[in-house]
Amino acid sequence: MISEDCVEKRHEPPGYNSRSLSVAHTAADLEVLREIENVYFSPPSEFDAARYVLEHAPTPTTCEAVELMFTKLKRQQQVVSGKALHLISQQRDNCDREFAEIQIIREQLSKTLETCRKAREHLCTASNNLTISTFVILANVRKRQIIKSVLKSLELLRSLRSVEKDVAELLNKKEYYEAIELILKSRKAAASHKEYTCIADLSSRLQDTLDMTEEKLDSVLSSICYNFDEDVFKKLKKAYDLLGKTQAAMEQLHMHYSSAVNESAIEAVKPFTGEISIETKFQEMCLGVPPNKAPNCLLNLCEKLFMVMRSYYLLVDWHSKHDEEEKAQASSNVFDIEKNVSREYIRQKLKAGLIRIWHDVQAKVSTFLKNSGLEEYPFEKFIQMLGILRKLTQVAEIFCGDTSDLLQDFIKTQSVSYIKNYHRGRMEELKLFLENEGWEQCPVKSTFNLLNLQEFKQFKKYLNPSKADQSIAVKTGSQSDTTSSVHSQDDSVYIARYFKYKTTQTPFEIFRDENVTNDDIFGIETELEPSDDSEDEPDELKRDYVDETDRDSITFDKPAKSPSKVKESVIVTNTTLSVLRNCGQYLQISRYLPQISLEVIMLMNQLFDYYFYAVHLFFTTDLDVASTTLYSTKLSAALKRISNNINSPGEEDAKNFVCPDLPQHLDMSSEANLHGLSERIVAVESAIFLAKQFELLQPYLETIVAQHQKMILEHFKDNTLAVAVDLRMPVYMCSASKAVDARSALIAMSQVRWDVKNVAVENSPYVDMIIRKIQVFALRLENIASKVSLNLKVLNSIWSMVSKFIVHLLVEGFSNATKCSNGGRGLMQLDYRQLFVKLEKISGLKPIPYQDYVDRYVKAYYLPRNELEEFVLERTEYSNKHLLALVACACENKRDRQALTAIIESRESLA
Amino acid sequence: MSETYEYLFKFLVIGSAGTGKSSLLNNFIGNKFKEDRCHTIGVEFGSKIVNIGGKSTKLQIWDTAGQERFRSVTRSYYRGAAGALLVYDITSRDSFNALSNWLRDARSLASPNIVILLVGNKKDIEESREVTFTEASQFAQENELMFLESSAKTGENVEEAFLKCSKTILAKIETGELDPERIGSGIQYGTSTAKRLTAPKKPVRAPTECACRV
Repeated sequence: MISEDCVEKRHEPPGYNSRSLSVAHTAADLEVLREIENVYFSPPSEFDAARYVLEHAPTPTTCEAVELMFTKLKRQQQVVSGKALHLISQQRDNCDREFAEIQIIREQLSKTLETCRKAREHLCTASNNLTISTFVILANVRKRQIIKSVLKSLELLRSLRSVEKDVAELLNKKEYYEAIELILKSRKAAASHKEYTCIADLSSRLQDTLDMTEEKLDSVLSSICYNFDEDVFKKLKKAYDLLGKTQAAMEQLHMHYSSAVNESAIEAVKPFTGEISIETKFQEMCLGVPPNKAPNCLLNLCEKLFMVMRSYYLLVDWHSKHDEEEKAQASSNVFDIEKNVSREYIRQKLKAGLIRIWHDVQAKVSTFLKNSGLEEYPFEKFIQMLGILRKLTQVAEIFCGDTSDLLQDFIKTQSVSYIKNYHRGRMEELKLFLENEGWEQCPVKSTFNLLNLQEFKQFKKYLNPSKADQSIAVKTGSQSDTTSSVHSQDDSVYIARYFKYKTTQTPFEIFRDENVTNDDIFGIETELEPSDDSEDEPDELKRDYVDETDRDSITFDKPAKSPSKVKESVIVTNTTLSVLRNCGQYLQISRYLPQISLEVIMLMNQLFDYYFYAVHLFFTTDLDVASTTLYSTKLSAALKRISNNINSPGEEDAKNFVCPDLPQHLDMSSEANLHGLSERIVAVESAIFLAKQFELLQPYLETIVAQHQKMILEHFKDNTLAVAVDLRMPVYMCSASKAVDARSALIAMSQVRWDVKNVAVENSPYVDMIIRKIQVFALRLENIASKVSLNLKVLNSIWSMVSKFIVHLLVEGFSNATKCSNGGRGLMQLDYRQLFVKLEKISGLKPIPYQDYVDRYVKAYYLPRNELEEFVLERTEYSNKHLLALVACACENKRDRQALTAIIESRESLA
Repeated sequence: MSETYEYLFKFLVIGSAGTGKSSLLNNFIGNKFKEDRCHTIGVEFGSKIVNIGGKSTKLQIWDTAGQERFRSVTRSYYRGAAGALLVYDITSRDSFNALSNWLRDARSLASPNIVILLVGNKKDIEESREVTFTEASQFAQENELMFLESSAKTGENVEEAFLKCSKTILAKIETGELDPERIGSGIQYGTSTAKRLTAPKKPVRAPTECACRV
């Protein structure tokens, strides 16, 4: 570029850069320059000066003209040349300077060029260098990639190597599914990395881990048996699903449940036995449980077994819920159908399992009971045991709908044998009580009855006379079956609670509470009887039926009281109370075990029988008059029946009960106490009272036995209970017959002359003698009445025995008269009338019972022959001796006498 | 039931109401202590076979009601008792004061050689004590009684009381001071001893020379 500038500058017209021209050139030169045509200044390429001049040559081409022109042109040339020269010289410095600049520029250019070249060179070097490093980088990247993958593998390997640890950790965290998943993944990974020798054996180890994990799962599964946890089970199920072993797991689980029942049973019993070896069988363990610990052991056993049952129940419950959920989302592809089949299988399995487990449980409990000395249980504990078993059967009903006949039967037979054994103990105790009984009246209120006893507290509602009808009507109306099912339904709701809720409680906990009553245990509703509250105060039950005031008043008022005014009161003995209490306990058993009611009642009746029998045995040994008319047929029959079940002393027969030994401590031979009359009264009246109490129970008892069994009760009532009053006659006769000494009375009578002509005005002396004796008797009786409250019935029956004895004594005495006149007969009448009037006064009996006996005998004397024959034939109550004497006196005709005598004697052979 | 024993002793538990007689007995025969026990009605009964000096002995124990109103009922059980626990309540002066009456009854009604052990019960409630040990032992000494303080609640000295009393009876039999053969001694030979005491039966009067037929 610079060079171009320079070139142009050189082409510029000369005028532009001309230096000052010399003065010589001044005007002329300028003139000449001016005259030069412009055209000459055109560039030579566009203008040809020669051609121009030739064209512009002067027209007349004269030498002069050409000369002139030549000169002019010459001149012009000169001027121009001069000018040019001048200009050139003028411009030379400029030119030189310019040139120098050019020179410099050139130098600069070449320098620049050099720099450029150098730069290019550097660039080239640089570019070369860059390419190589890129390659290196690429290479490195690749290496890294490889290392990374190696590292990954290594890490995988490492993780594979720590799988065991991780799995254990997961298992600890109860993440079974994840653990299994991890193992499975690891196994896959291990398989795909077989090339690493370091993990070559890993896959087998993983298999081991898997096995171990499965084992662990299995152990968790088995722990499910003791306490079903939904969350844990869900995890387990998922894990097993993953393993594809759902069904197998279910089988396994059932096995676990079976062994859980076993284990629980052993665990429950173990603490109660002494030292035992591990191999001891359950049955042997049960035998090792000391009887006093057995009830608690049973409770423990039931609780433990219940835990297993509940766990299973929850398992089944969970499954059914789960199934529903799954069904809801089920579709119909093949896979699902397969799943359904398996699910159905499991469902069936579970259902069958319920019953199987219950059978196992039943077997355990039965084994325990069979071997635990059930018979040794104290009464309360036995009741508790029944309660526990009842609860267990209720549990079973919820559990599998089983009515547990096995256990029920077992309970029944065990109960019967228990109560029989218990009864044996009670009978032995009763024997002891009776043998030691002082036959003192126990001071109780005059309104006392068995309901006042604590043992009968629960029966109040059934027995309360006013309410009894109602409640019994309700009971019989709805039949015992239905009522019991109503109970169980209520119970089932209650029991179901223990299955449903997440609770550690068991239905058996109730038994650990000491305050729980048996009713609570049996779920028998304790009816509140608000109206009765005032009489129902527990205090009364405890002691207030014991009557203090009555007793005091009797002792104080006694002297003023005549025997006939004695008010109604209750005579019981200590033994009576204990019999009643035993009955109460028996009834409690039957209440909880309705199916053995009849057995229980029969045992109760045995208690009564024994008491009844003992009273008779103890207090009629000294009966010294012939007894036929003293015993009603029913009484004889009852006594005979009872004696069949009672061994005579010394006879050893395990089946029967031993006859009580006659008490040695009672004074029954002293006349002063009327030969133990007070004891006799207490004994007989307490037996009668006992019978009444049993009768009071009858309506209730009838409700607890089956329809066809009622007859048995009725029979007992009519033929045993009802005849208790008949004991009065033989027993009181023992004392009554000693009121008057028969021998001396008969002697006194034999001294009377009966063949007198005239009817006497005064009674014979023996009458006064007898009356005196009777008066003494009355006084002594009054004495007794101060100790024992005698009611009118007792007094009357004593007095009637006295009069019975006297009429017989009189007949005996009259029949001793071999000769008798009308006057004598009259005297007889006078005597006994007199005697009866006195006796009426003393005894308060009006008319005197049995007086017909003597009356009829004496008056038969007046009968004509044929009527006498009839009399002799019909009156079997008189002995032959009596009748023969009668005939001897009455028949004057010898033939008649012989005929009648013959009739009497033939009568004897008939009888 | 197959229980064998060599001797049978009839025992009494006597003393004022509420002194814990039934609790003592129940503790002895193995029942639980109940805080609120009702008064005994009449008499109750318990038995236990104990081993005394190698001899198994059945104690037949009559637990009597302490309440006055039962006195006539309970007295009838005194007869022929070989041993008695005379119980008072260390927290009740009254029960202690009544001892001489009880003692008199026991000595006059039971066997004259009756072995009596004085028991001060309710030892566990020391804080309400009204009768000191010393005065009670003095009373025991004066009346030739053995003496123990017990607690039916804790069981302290309960078994000891019965055993001590039984031991003394046994010792007396061995020295001949007591004769088991004597009627009313309250002692019987048991099932395991050969010479079983056969109580002479009361001669049953033959149904009468009196000819009257009733």
